[in-house]
Amino acid sequence: MTGNAIIEFNHVKKQYDDNVILKDIDLEIERGKFYTLLGPSGCGKTTILNLVAGFTEATEGTITLNGKKVNDIPPNQRTVNTVFQDYALFPHMNVFENVAFGLRIKKMNKNVIKEKVAEVLKMVQLSGYEERGISEMSGGQRQRVAIARALVNEPDVLLLDEPLSALDLKLRTDMQYELRELQQRLGITFIFVTHDQEEALAMSDIIFVMKEGEIVQSGTPVDIYDEPINRYVADFIGESNIVKGTMIQDYEVSFVGHTFECVDAGMRPNEKVEVVLRPEDLVLTSVEKGKLTVQVDTQLFRGVHYEIIGYDRDGNEWMVHSTKKAKVGSEVGLYFEPEDIHVMRFGESEQEFDARLESYEEE
Amino acid sequence: MGQKKFKWSNLYLIFVFIVLYLPILYLIFYSFNEGGTMNSFTGFTWEYYQAVFADKRLISIVLNTLLVALLSSLLATIIGTLGAIGIHYVKKRQTRNTLMSFNNVLMVSPDVIIGASFLIMFTFVGFKLGFASVLLSHIAFSIPIVVLMVLPKLQEMNPSMITAARDLGANNLQVLSKIILPSITPGILAGYFMAFTYSLDDFAVTFFVTGNGFSTLSVEIYSRARQGVSLEINALSAIMFLFALILVVGYYFIQQYNMTKKQKSRERERAKVVDLL
Ligand SMILES: Nc1ncnc2c1ncn2[C@@H]1O[C@H](COP(=O)(O)OP(=O)(O)OP(=O)(O)O)[C@@H](O)[C@H]1O
Ligand SMILES: [Mg+2]
Repeated sequence: MTGNAIIEFNHVKKQYDDNVILKDIDLEIERGKFYTLLGPSGCGKTTILNLVAGFTEATEGTITLNGKKVNDIPPNQRTVNTVFQDYALFPHMNVFENVAFGLRIKKMNKNVIKEKVAEVLKMVQLSGYEERGISEMSGGQRQRVAIARALVNEPDVLLLDEPLSALDLKLRTDMQYELRELQQRLGITFIFVTHDQEEALAMSDIIFVMKEGEIVQSGTPVDIYDEPINRYVADFIGESNIVKGTMIQDYEVSFVGHTFECVDAGMRPNEKVEVVLRPEDLVLTSVEKGKLTVQVDTQLFRGVHYEIIGYDRDGNEWMVHSTKKAKVGSEVGLYFEPEDIHVMRFGESEQEFDARLESYEEE
Repeated sequence: MGQKKFKWSNLYLIFVFIVLYLPILYLIFYSFNEGGTMNSFTGFTWEYYQAVFADKRLISIVLNTLLVALLSSLLATIIGTLGAIGIHYVKKRQTRNTLMSFNNVLMVSPDVIIGASFLIMFTFVGFKLGFASVLLSHIAFSIPIVVLMVLPKLQEMNPSMITAARDLGANNLQVLSKIILPSITPGILAGYFMAFTYSLDDFAVTFFVTGNGFSTLSVEIYSRARQGVSLEINALSAIMFLFALILVVGYYFIQQYNMTKKQKSRERERAKVVDLL
C-alpha cells in the first residue's frame, strides 16, 4: 500500500445474477490526479464508479478508500461525490438549494452555507443564477450546477460519469478545459468516465482503457498512445495502421517484405508480431526516398490535414495524415523513423508488457 | 370557413354547460320560491335560508360531514401516499403488479358492495356504528384514490435523483422528506382533494355504516327527500354550491398568486444577472 493511494481495488469482481460485469479488477488511484476510465458502451465503467460511490456492492474482492475497507459502508458515509450521467439535479429546488443540499444535510450554519455556495458557484461561473429553477438552465449550465453541487462538499474524490456527452462539440471542448483547470486548481482526485478517446487523451493524467469488464491497459495518455499494448487499444485510441510482421531480433522488425530498424526488444527471435504506425508519423515523400511505396487511393480534406488512404503492393491499407496534398492514383513513398514503429506481441498481459519495457529501457 | 367552425364548437360548449348547470340553477331558483313547491314561482323569499340556519340538526350534520371529509381524506392521504411509495419500491415486478391490481379492484368495485361488506365486518366484530365507523370506511375507500393519484408522480420521478441525494449524504428519511415527497406533492394534493370530494358526496357506503345517532348530509337529504322535498333542501344545496364556487375561485387566485410570485423572483434575478454583465 503506497502512501499516496486514495482508492484501491483488490481483485474486485462484480456480477448480476450469473452475469459477470467486472472480472478481477485491480487498480490504484493516487491523490490529486485526473483519472479517466475509457471504454466502449457496456464495458463496466459506470459499474466501477458505482462501486467507488457505494451504490452497488462488489461480489468479491476489497475496495479501500483512504486506507479503510469500505465494502459495507453506505454512500452517504463516503467522502466521495458524483456528477451523474444525466446530472440528476432536483427540479423542485432552485440552483442555490440544489448546491446547498449536501451542506444542509450536514446541518451547517446558514451563513457558512451561503458563503460556500456563492464561492463554488463563482468557481463554475454561475454567480447570479442562485434563484433560477433547474428547468430554466441550459445543458451546459445544468452540468455546471451538478459539478458545483458535488464540489461544495469538498470530497476526497469526485466521480464524473460522462458529464460532457450531452453537450455540443464547442461547449464540450470548452468544458474539457474548464474541468481540467478546475481539477488542477483544487487538487481533488477526479475519476472521469468517457467513451470518447480524444476527451480522455486531452484531460487525463492516467487513462484506464477497459474492455468487457477488464482493464486492458493503464498509463499516461502519451504512453497509451505511443505504446498501445494490443490491437484493441491501438484501434480504440486514435487512428492507426496495423500490419502483421516478424521480430527478426532485438531492434529489428520485418513487415510488408522489408526489414526495418526499430526501438522494441525483449521478444523471441522470429516471433510473429503486429506493427503499429500512426498516420501522423508517416511522411509523404518521393518513391526513391520512401521506406514504403503506396498508391494513393483516396484523399479527404480534414481541415488541419489531408487524410490520404493508399495501398501497398501486398494490398495493405495505409492511412497518412499530411499537410501536403497527394495526387490520387499516383505512387508515393512513405518515410518514418525507427521510433515511429511500435511492435505489439500477441496476448501479452499488461504486467508482462511493463516488465519487458522496463527490461530493455534500463540498458 | 374556419371562423364558422369555431362558432359551432363554441355553441356546442355552451350547450353542454347549459345541460350540466341547468338543473342546479333550476334548484337554486326555486329555493327563493314563496309558493313552497317547484312548480310555479309565486314570489321571492329568504324563508328557507332562515330555516336552514335555524335547523340545529341540519347544521350539526353539515359540520359532521365536513369533519368526516377532512379527517378521512387527511388520513387516507397519509396512508395512501406511504402505500404508493411502498408499492413503487417493491423490487419484484410481479408482486408490484399484483398489489396495483388489488388497488384498482377496490377503485372499480361498486360502493354498495363496499358499504355492505363494511357493515358485515363492523357488526361481526361488534363495532358500534356511528362517527368512527363512517370515518373508517371513508378512509378505506379513499386510500385507493390517493394511491392512484400518487403512483404516476412516483413513476415520473427520475430515480437517479435518489441516488444523488444519498451520494450527497442524505439518509433514507431525508431522501423521503427532501426528495420524494416534494417531487410528488402535486399528486398528493390532487389525491387529497379527490378523497375530500369523494367523502363529501358519498352516499352508498355511508348509508350502510351510519348508526342511529350519526348522519351525513347526503344520507340526511335522502331521508328528507323521501318524506317529500322541502325547499329547505334547495336552499341548502344553493349554499353548498356557493361554497364550492368560492373554493374554486379561491384556488384560482392562490395559483395566480404563486405564478406572479415566481415571475417576480425571476425578474429580480434577471436584473441581477444584467448587473453582473
Ligand atoms: N442493475 C443491473 N442489473 C443487471 N445488469 C446490469 C445492471 N447495471 C448494469 N448492468 C450491466 O452491466 C454492464 C456494464 O454496465 P455499465 O453501466 O457499467 O456500462 P458502461 O461502461 O457505463 O456503459 P455506457 O458507456 O453505456 O454508460 C452492462 O452490460 C449492463 O447491462
Ligand atoms: Mg455508463
